[in-house]
Amino acid sequence: MLTIQNLTKHYKGSNKGVTDISLHICPGDIYGFIGHNGAGKTTTLKCVAGIQDFDSGQIRINGTDIREHPLECKRSFAYIPDNPDLYEYLTGIQYLNFIADVFGVAAKEREERIKQYGDAFEITSSLGDLISSYSHGMKQKLAIISALVHRPKLLLLDEPFVGLDPKASVILKEIMRNICAEGGAIFFSTHVLDVAEKLCDKVAIIKDGVLVASGDMEQIVQPGQSLESIFMEVVSDGKH
Amino acid sequence: MGNIKTMAKLELCNLYELNRFRFAREKKIKKKALFLMIGWLIVLAMMFFYIGVLSYAFIQIGIGDVIPSYLTALASLIIFFFGVLKAGNIIFRKNGYDILCSLPVPQSAIVISRFLRLYAEELGFAAAAMAPGLIVYGWMLRPGVSFYLVSILGILLIPLIPMALAVLIGALITAVSSRTKHKSLAATVLSIIAVLAITAGSFLFSSMGNSLTPEMLTELSLLVTGLLRRIYPPSIWMGTAIVRGDLFQWALCAGVFLAVSALILLLVSARFHWICQNLYGTFAKHNYRLEKLRRHSVISALCQREFKRYFSSSVYVTNTIVGPLMGTALCAVILFTGTGAMLTGPLASVFDSYGLAPFALAGIFCTMTTTATSISLEGKNWWIVKSLPLSAKSIMNAKILMNLLLMLPFYLVSEVLLILAFKPGIPDILWFFLIPAVIILFSCVYGLAVNLHFPVMDWENEASVVKQSLSATLGGMGGFILSILCIVAIVFLPREYVWVFKFGICILLTGATGILYRNICK
Repeated sequence: MLTIQNLTKHYKGSNKGVTDISLHICPGDIYGFIGHNGAGKTTTLKCVAGIQDFDSGQIRINGTDIREHPLECKRSFAYIPDNPDLYEYLTGIQYLNFIADVFGVAAKEREERIKQYGDAFEITSSLGDLISSYSHGMKQKLAIISALVHRPKLLLLDEPFVGLDPKASVILKEIMRNICAEGGAIFFSTHVLDVAEKLCDKVAIIKDGVLVASGDMEQIVQPGQSLESIFMEVVSDGKH
Repeated sequence: MGNIKTMAKLELCNLYELNRFRFAREKKIKKKALFLMIGWLIVLAMMFFYIGVLSYAFIQIGIGDVIPSYLTALASLIIFFFGVLKAGNIIFRKNGYDILCSLPVPQSAIVISRFLRLYAEELGFAAAAMAPGLIVYGWMLRPGVSFYLVSILGILLIPLIPMALAVLIGALITAVSSRTKHKSLAATVLSIIAVLAITAGSFLFSSMGNSLTPEMLTELSLLVTGLLRRIYPPSIWMGTAIVRGDLFQWALCAGVFLAVSALILLLVSARFHWICQNLYGTFAKHNYRLEKLRRHSVISALCQREFKRYFSSSVYVTNTIVGPLMGTALCAVILFTGTGAMLTGPLASVFDSYGLAPFALAGIFCTMTTTATSISLEGKNWWIVKSLPLSAKSIMNAKILMNLLLMLPFYLVSEVLLILAFKPGIPDILWFFLIPAVIILFSCVYGLAVNLHFPVMDWENEASVVKQSLSATLGGMGGFILSILCIVAIVFLPREYVWVFKFGICILLTGATGILYRNICK
């Protein structure tokens, strides 16, 4: 589904960025991406989403290179950033309609999906209001619905649980599992290690722009250990 | 006082993006700041040249003593005009409001510090407008040392009254619009009315010269002084103080200027919190019911979004719609009163015989295109279009289309009015339609190309992008400068070659538009 090979991206005039990242995300995977602040999680996700160019390496989505065929790749995934800066001058429904128009979602299908997810996240009644009147959590919910309205095969989520209320978090986790059960894949970053441990079947740990551990959750977290202890050990010592 | 000092330091530390330039590590930011500085230096050099030549001419015709008053009035009027468009936005800026209000700082300190920021910005302009005239005056008329001293002290006072009045009008507009549901729309309409009223008012005042007596016409100096007294009396007080090098009169001026500013700031401070609360409050009904949704094409969806973005920002609308509005109003005036009301003497006949009107119309329409800042105004939302399966061509087409659709009704009405006013022959009618269309299209694409080269995505305030960015300065006025160059070229061309020039310019601009379009769509 998603293959990242030797991804390197450095910002000019700064030592921040990522070096030689390689990951393979298969259909059905819920892949967690964890690391300290400034480790390179958002940079990696932005490179995968085609928002940021990179220095070297290759990113393939369903076998298609994002640099060579960005539009084809973008049609198959949805991306949600860590801070949902949405168009505040639109109403919620106008924003969802805009995204559905870009992805060419048929009118009937978009109505059904918006109703389904709007009701699930309990924001249908607010969809007629301007996004500028939304709280951070409501914006996050709207961003999630916009990501789901075109039924993407791959979801790229940067800290998706930040700002969500407990009920919305449970619903999102359920949706993530359903997508994977239907053959989709999810690659998401998080600071909430408990969530990652319970939800993900694969995990990658990044430290200072370098991948220090990656693989199946069972391989990384041995019986009697927790992801938290592994994370602390890995980020302080180096490779696992 | 300590609070004001601290707050003012915060406001002034990033004046003209100096703080960013000082601490940015990325070379790109420094390079951009350098380009911006070069852009401003070019504008400054043009101002120096224009005002210097004007002042020299004033001295040559024997009215040199009018220079300080004239320049004070000119600088004040320009500061006031542009101040009205941005003052409300800067004084009632939302960015950081919550944090500031939670600090133990009085509201007056916030208002005064923001006013000082506006003052500092305009002080640079006042100095640039006054300096060349005063240098020419000093060089040719050799006044005493006190002239220079009062001049420098005078420049410090000039921005105060126009800025304070602009803040008052900005606050009134913001206060009225903050009580309405569609705040941005209300602010836009009120700002446009204010700008048109200022323009019409200054035009009316300056045309009152017709009622002066023949005796006064023999005294050119009296004529100009009388005119300035009508437009802006403080300019005469300040001008007299400078010419005489009179420190006492300067002190009187300072008293009046400071008192007016303090009074207005006091008024605004008293209502600051109330206005901000109404302004930042949002209407949320929470009663939406899912209705039947319609599917649109990608270009239609993008174009609709562009229009919504455009009308969501009053500063964006007022800065870009004034040109087409003025152009249409001017065409109506020409139709109903004849060209004589606007242009007199040989200029009117040149206008009639050479058919310069389409170039003038295009120039006014293109004083500021929406495309020149449309990429920058995406700001923090840029990630959305970047992560969607949208080609650069679709995004650019939507931005160009929105600008063209916005101008279309003004263009059509103006064309009809112009044709009715000038009654050109059939071939000239073609030029009347074709020339503005070609220049408008070029300026839209050119504006976008410039903005792509000089985008400002991490802005704090829309006004800084729309009014102060390099892209707005270089890109927004492309069509305007081009039209002026064409008018100058036609005036100096032999008559029989004018149609060749018009034909050539249309071909050339169409080609240039095509090349630029291909580049921006890559």
